[in-house]
Amino acid sequence: MKNVRLFYTKKGRMKFLSQLDINRLMTRVIRRSGLPVWYTEGFNRHIYINYAVPLSLGFEGEYEIMDIRLTDDAFEYEEALSRLNSAAPEGIRFLRAVDPVLPTKDIAFAEYEIAFESGNVFLYPALEKFLSSDSVICIKKDKKGRLKEFDIIPKIKSTDFSGDKPRLILSAGNEGNLNPAMVLSAFFEKTETAPVFYTVRRLMLFDAGLKPFV
Amino acid sequence: MNEKEFEKLLLSVQKPGRYSGGELNSVVKDKEKVKIRFAFCFPDTYEIGMSHLGMKILYSQFNEREDIWCERVFAPWVDFEVLMREKGIPLFALESRDSIKDFDFIGFTLQYELCYTNLLNMLDLAGLPLKSADRPSLSPLVVAGGPCCCNPEPLADFVDLFFLGEGEEVDLEVIDLYREFKEKGAGKEEFLRAAAKIEGVYVPSLYDIEYFEDGRIKSVTPKDGAPAKIRKRIMRDMDSSYYPDRFVVPFIEIVHDRAVQELFRGCIRGCRFCQAGFIYRPVREKSADTVNRQAKALCENTGYDEISLSSLSTSDYTCLEPLLNKMLLWTEPQSISLSLPSLRVDNFSAELLGKINHIRKSGLTFAPEAGTQRLRDVINKNVTEEEIFRTCKTAFEGGYTAVKLYFMLGLPTETDEDLKGITDLGRRIIDLYYSLENRPVGKSPSVSVSVSTFVPKPFTPFQFEPQIEKEEIERRQNVLKYSNTCRKVNISWHDSSVSFLEGAFARGDRRLCAVLEAAFKKGCKFDGWNECFNLQKWLEAFDENGIDPLFYSARKRDFDEINPWDHLDFGVTKDFLIRENKKAHSAKITPNCREKCAACGAACFGEGVCFEKR
Repeated sequence: MKNVRLFYTKKGRMKFLSQLDINRLMTRVIRRSGLPVWYTEGFNRHIYINYAVPLSLGFEGEYEIMDIRLTDDAFEYEEALSRLNSAAPEGIRFLRAVDPVLPTKDIAFAEYEIAFESGNVFLYPALEKFLSSDSVICIKKDKKGRLKEFDIIPKIKSTDFSGDKPRLILSAGNEGNLNPAMVLSAFFEKTETAPVFYTVRRLMLFDAGLKPFV
Repeated sequence: MNEKEFEKLLLSVQKPGRYSGGELNSVVKDKEKVKIRFAFCFPDTYEIGMSHLGMKILYSQFNEREDIWCERVFAPWVDFEVLMREKGIPLFALESRDSIKDFDFIGFTLQYELCYTNLLNMLDLAGLPLKSADRPSLSPLVVAGGPCCCNPEPLADFVDLFFLGEGEEVDLEVIDLYREFKEKGAGKEEFLRAAAKIEGVYVPSLYDIEYFEDGRIKSVTPKDGAPAKIRKRIMRDMDSSYYPDRFVVPFIEIVHDRAVQELFRGCIRGCRFCQAGFIYRPVREKSADTVNRQAKALCENTGYDEISLSSLSTSDYTCLEPLLNKMLLWTEPQSISLSLPSLRVDNFSAELLGKINHIRKSGLTFAPEAGTQRLRDVINKNVTEEEIFRTCKTAFEGGYTAVKLYFMLGLPTETDEDLKGITDLGRRIIDLYYSLENRPVGKSPSVSVSVSTFVPKPFTPFQFEPQIEKEEIERRQNVLKYSNTCRKVNISWHDSSVSFLEGAFARGDRRLCAVLEAAFKKGCKFDGWNECFNLQKWLEAFDENGIDPLFYSARKRDFDEINPWDHLDFGVTKDFLIRENKKAHSAKITPNCREKCAACGAACFGEGVCFEKR
């Protein structure tokens, strides 16, 4: 038995799926593909799948990662990819299958591309200015449901406003994950800007040294 | 509307996966290359509609035909409807996102009466006039099928044509006739007159109804050559009958999110309250080989890890054990779990339990329906208390601790003693658990009792019976509640006002069309959903049209009264229903079809259990 790391994209209509939907979908994709995967041995047997960092409903992802286990060590990765792709719906594309290098807990950052509709791109400079503040205190619920104040600025690793669309590198992973939706809602609220529609695409996951997570 | 705009809307509603389309196995065709576009509409949410087997069968079957493109349409949930109306988005089909207004057929499946306002709402969202008479052109033709079509009168003004019985053959016959008439440029009336000659097709506009002064029906008169009796259609040979080898696999979780394999149609039991037990007669089985083959294909093509063997009373399938043995050969290695809904208490064996237990333990559910043996005899639920206890014992010893029991409240002849019998039964099942030496260690048992309100339905022996009124329902619910002294027995029941509405529409006539339209205009929709149901608006709608709903639901009907559905023929004869009604009142049971033929009339179809050797 061996661990296999799969890189895939979640685009188009697939953005409407929540993480739970994605899990159901992937389970069925794997079943239809006929890959020799490992099932958990607990009370409710299911296919073992570990998702690196869940992606919110509404977001697209270019660098999504899930780990599975193959019971046949000799199974060719090329074959696995082609079987998965033929069982997957439009919008889910499996790009690479590799032996995992790092454990998923080593994921530290994620890069997101934010896009406003063309009529609202004039807000980008204001967003840039907002994100260069020294501190932006937001309130969120912790795991126990208590309201907690926290500063989002230290969780913003870097921003890049040089291209058409802004890119943000934010803290990611189990500890200290910052969702770009929270950044945007803080922006609208604190700058008293009427909220506008935006889309989010996750481009990359990084380790603590800002190297692409593999 | 462009993709971007649509996406933006979807991201602002609950569960956008309801509207996004693009699911695995959904069928997309080139609209230029098809002749017939069929919008298959389920008048409830996506999650409910997508769980419905009939839609899956007909969707696949229609799409096998090159000239037909059948697409799915569901009732948008209220949040999305607001946006659709605000932005002027007409009701669209999921596959093409085209407005269904220009389709050839708009076909509804009618599974329960409480969806009728949704049907009107969907026509309205499509931008179509509600009334058949206000849609003079041939297309789109508004058609409907499903169990509620055994009394479709409350929808007679809105739907052009109803399919009675099973749709696999008759639907396509109508589509073919339509294509012929469309190509020769014929009008709607001409088409409807011709369609009415196809067996299983009911065109309500071809029947004139006269009433007595007291409101009862005086006569039903066919015109323009329409038949006086319209007989339902059935599939004669289930092994050769169409069954899909794939289902559309939804992205979001639906109510029954699994593969469903049909074992047989009809039910041998004849429980007197159960409409399905009469209108789907006669029982026709698939062979174990067919079931096994079809089930396997379904799992392979969908990736589902659970398959449900579905029928009205699954354990009555004559080859259940051999079938399970066959299926376990491939389900077990692939970690596919089998579920068997609708098991009966009286033929539930330890061996059977072991088989469904093999992979995954699901809950155990039984439906004694009534709390005392006397009342169970009245309703012909031929289950004895001894059998209930034996089954529970088997289940407890097999490791189960939770039992769910279904009952009905308000059955004909019911007394407070019968209600107390329900809680008493629950308590004694708990006692039984503790009396067993080999019960599961360290676990606490629970009995959930779910009590629904009995609604008399057409084509059942109780079609003549009055439904008890709201105050009485509530009184009886209280009797039930206060008779329960055991903490491990949990009782839940349904809202009484919803049953009242269901009762009126189940046995209503076409004068209810005006009430339905008025209720819709007041904003009634999703009446089966607690958060949407509005009794006050319904009462106003009845009142404004001078119609007393209790005339339909709470009145005892004479045997010789003409019922709104008497010109429809579902095989079972009125004579049989009268005989059964009389037997009910003297608490006499009727053996099931395999034990002894009760001469119900369903043998007229020339197939099925009626011709088995007994």
